[in-house]
Amino acid sequence: MTTSTKGLSDFVAEATEILDALSRDLAILDRRRGERLEPDLVNGIFRSAHSLKGLAAMFGEQRIAQLAHQTEDLLDRLRLGRIELTEKVVDALIESFDTFQVVLAETSRRERSAVATERAEAVSQKLAQFIDSGTVEQSDALDQLELDTQVRNVLTEYEEHRLRENLREGMAVWKVRAVFDLSDFDQGLARLNSKLKSLGEVISTLPSADPGDGTGIAFDIIFGGKVETEKLRLALTALPASVHPLFQFQPQPAEPSLPLEQLVSPTPPGAEPEHRSPVRVAVSNAPQQASGALPAYANPRFGTADAMVRPSPKQPDGEGDPVGRGLTQTVRVDIGRLDSLMDAVGELLLIKANVARLAEQASRGGKPPPGQLWGHELHRESRLLERKLDDLQKGILEVRMVPLGQVFDKLARTVRRIARESGKEVDFLMRGGEVEVDKLIVEALSDPLMHIVRNAVDHGVETPDERERLSKRPRAAVAIRAMQRGNQVVIEISDDGRGLDEERIREVAVRTGILTRAQAEEMTPRELQRLIFLPGFSTASRVSELSGRGVGLDVVKTNISRLSGMIDTHSERGVGSTFTITLPETLAIVRALVVSVSGRVYAVPLNAVSEITSIAESEVRTVEGREVIGLRGKTIPLARLARVFELPETELRRCFILVVGLAHRRLGIAVDELLGQQDVVVKPLGGRLRHTPGIAGATDLGDRNPVLVLDTGALIEEVVNSERRPELV
Amino acid sequence: MAAFADILKQFFYAPDEDVGELFRPSIPADEMTLLASQERPGEYLAFFLAQECYAIPIDQVREIVRVPPLTEIPRSADNLLGVIKLRGEILPVYDVKMRLKLCERPPKIAGPEVEPGSLTSTSRILIVRDPEGDVGVLVDAVREVIRLKPSEIESLAPGIGGGDHLVGLGHLGTDLFILLDIHKALA
Repeated sequence: MTTSTKGLSDFVAEATEILDALSRDLAILDRRRGERLEPDLVNGIFRSAHSLKGLAAMFGEQRIAQLAHQTEDLLDRLRLGRIELTEKVVDALIESFDTFQVVLAETSRRERSAVATERAEAVSQKLAQFIDSGTVEQSDALDQLELDTQVRNVLTEYEEHRLRENLREGMAVWKVRAVFDLSDFDQGLARLNSKLKSLGEVISTLPSADPGDGTGIAFDIIFGGKVETEKLRLALTALPASVHPLFQFQPQPAEPSLPLEQLVSPTPPGAEPEHRSPVRVAVSNAPQQASGALPAYANPRFGTADAMVRPSPKQPDGEGDPVGRGLTQTVRVDIGRLDSLMDAVGELLLIKANVARLAEQASRGGKPPPGQLWGHELHRESRLLERKLDDLQKGILEVRMVPLGQVFDKLARTVRRIARESGKEVDFLMRGGEVEVDKLIVEALSDPLMHIVRNAVDHGVETPDERERLSKRPRAAVAIRAMQRGNQVVIEISDDGRGLDEERIREVAVRTGILTRAQAEEMTPRELQRLIFLPGFSTASRVSELSGRGVGLDVVKTNISRLSGMIDTHSERGVGSTFTITLPETLAIVRALVVSVSGRVYAVPLNAVSEITSIAESEVRTVEGREVIGLRGKTIPLARLARVFELPETELRRCFILVVGLAHRRLGIAVDELLGQQDVVVKPLGGRLRHTPGIAGATDLGDRNPVLVLDTGALIEEVVNSERRPELV
Repeated sequence: MAAFADILKQFFYAPDEDVGELFRPSIPADEMTLLASQERPGEYLAFFLAQECYAIPIDQVREIVRVPPLTEIPRSADNLLGVIKLRGEILPVYDVKMRLKLCERPPKIAGPEVEPGSLTSTSRILIVRDPEGDVGVLVDAVREVIRLKPSEIESLAPGIGGGDHLVGLGHLGTDLFILLDIHKALA
């Protein structure tokens, strides 16, 4: 390859984005198999494949280009209804997608292996078979329509197909004539389209054969949907559009219709342009055959307008910043968020000007301004400055936030594949994909989640036969849920499989020498369950290719701790297991409590601290020799940081206690002094210090030496578990 | 007054030091081109540990910095002196003297219980490139950059040196340079 590094990384970034869009759409397609085919969806996948083909060809990545070409062909037939969407076709599409990823990953490393090339060719051939095999006979229903031949002639093959489909499904079809002013017809059209799309399908948008009055421009929109003409008229009252039925459907009383308020919600002309609503629709095909009268509109790139102005990732459809883990470092940002950042910068400049003016006033030899007034002004500016900097920081953090949904989609594919390979039937439920976390976390989460989900399908749930014997539903359920809890994000992965086998865990623990027989007998089921996070611990008697690659849950745990998160499990024999991951929302900048112990300074992420209290030395009690403290009627273990860190202890009459942890796993950490709070950027201790226990990283408090940031999750683990399992540390 | 000098030194602390002056070619420049074809000399950075003079290949050294304040890592290995901050990067700093049996235990130079006198004005940290992440190595003083031809390097006779972290002995005139495999000495 001769492309420069920059070119290559651009290519990889863009291809990854396309693949992510593709992945999302395929996941939806997969979920809705057997249902009526969503035309927009197939169209979206088709467009992704098409862009990928173009992009790959441009960068000379032939393997991707060729496979994308085949995929595009298949999808083209699919959207034209020439072949049916069978299980096999979906599988083939997903397979080709997986192959894209493999090849792209290679390309990004500037490699080219024969294995991947062969794979790409094999998939490509498979797709070709589908393309050759399928032809579905069509009876022409279009003759029923009162369409002008003129109009009919300009419809593309795809549009004709959609029209037929609509008729076949018993939809009504209208011609909506809309006249807009030339100056803002694009906005008007977008409004009209979004309104129509909530009611049905926009099949084609054509510039009208007979134009409106002098300054206007008229469009004929062929529209299909399951609404009555009256309702449609009502919905479009605020818009300059008239409705002509081409084909009426027979309203069925049982059919649920949209609430009326939704239909008539007013959209006054001249209101704020809805630049966030999708503007693509099927229109992009039409103008290619229509006259070239509308250059802006006929531009095929128009179809990607929504990709340039991304909808806010807060929208629950899981859209937003698509990133391939490890492949690209780009973040897609909603333009609105950037605008507010710009605003903040603008105001900072204003403040800077004010401060400069004050400085000049003060330094000018002439009559100095009254000290008090001057101080007042300076104070005001500094307060403003503080507030604006705060905004700026918040804005930057927001930009870094991406929805978890993008990881979930990848998980869905994995579940499908593994279920197929292991002969299990699994429903994968996802909730909370819209919860946003720092991009860094999302990327680092991908592998641990993959591992847990893989385990759940591979080892957790039973085969359909086995489930039937146990009188369980033959289709197993694996669910992933994300929830926001204050500054933390909780992710739960649960299955309704066989659950953890505590007896086996006990057996393995004793056999591998992690525990003595006596220790093992003493442990509660819950403690036993947690043993699975120990390095080298695996109870799976059958090491499968899928989950048993020699790495276990200990790696998952390490990865999660590196994100200053915690993982726990709860399982019931025969009922299922749940893994709970608790993570901070953001990694980059955290509010930290600065404390000192034996003359050393440490920072503690404030989001890990649930409360701070101060106790006298006499209030410390012991239980079996371990120190505990009382906290509003509850007794929690106490860890003196100086002792844990083996520092020389200072004698103090009172010390401060930071209460960390959640619910039943809480710990009081004793420190000598509280020095204050500060926003800090946590840098991991890389390289050789990666595995420093109890330390999450280091930060800069403006002194010359780095300050260590405590890993409270690890400290809780260490102290709470140290009783019976010193090996865990 | 000494305290004030310290403060000044800290205030004007600059991590970077010009290595250029340290360079002393062992052969005049005009002979170098001639030699290049026959026997290629290697460049080494020579430094002092205790009173002994050690050397490591210069391409393993990323930079040489003055000793900034260190932060100790609790419960770490004995030879880890602490971490430093170098232009935003956090780097571990190791002691190799203990490994080389030049001292009983590493000097305590991080944290509040710093032992006075364990650092001198010539103490430096060599930032050594390492595949696992660059690391700092505390040395008592940096001497110079030397060129050693393979013929000037003597392999170790039995009884000299107590481990595989020594590579050989370099001779330049009457000076003796102990060639160190820094990665093995750190392991």
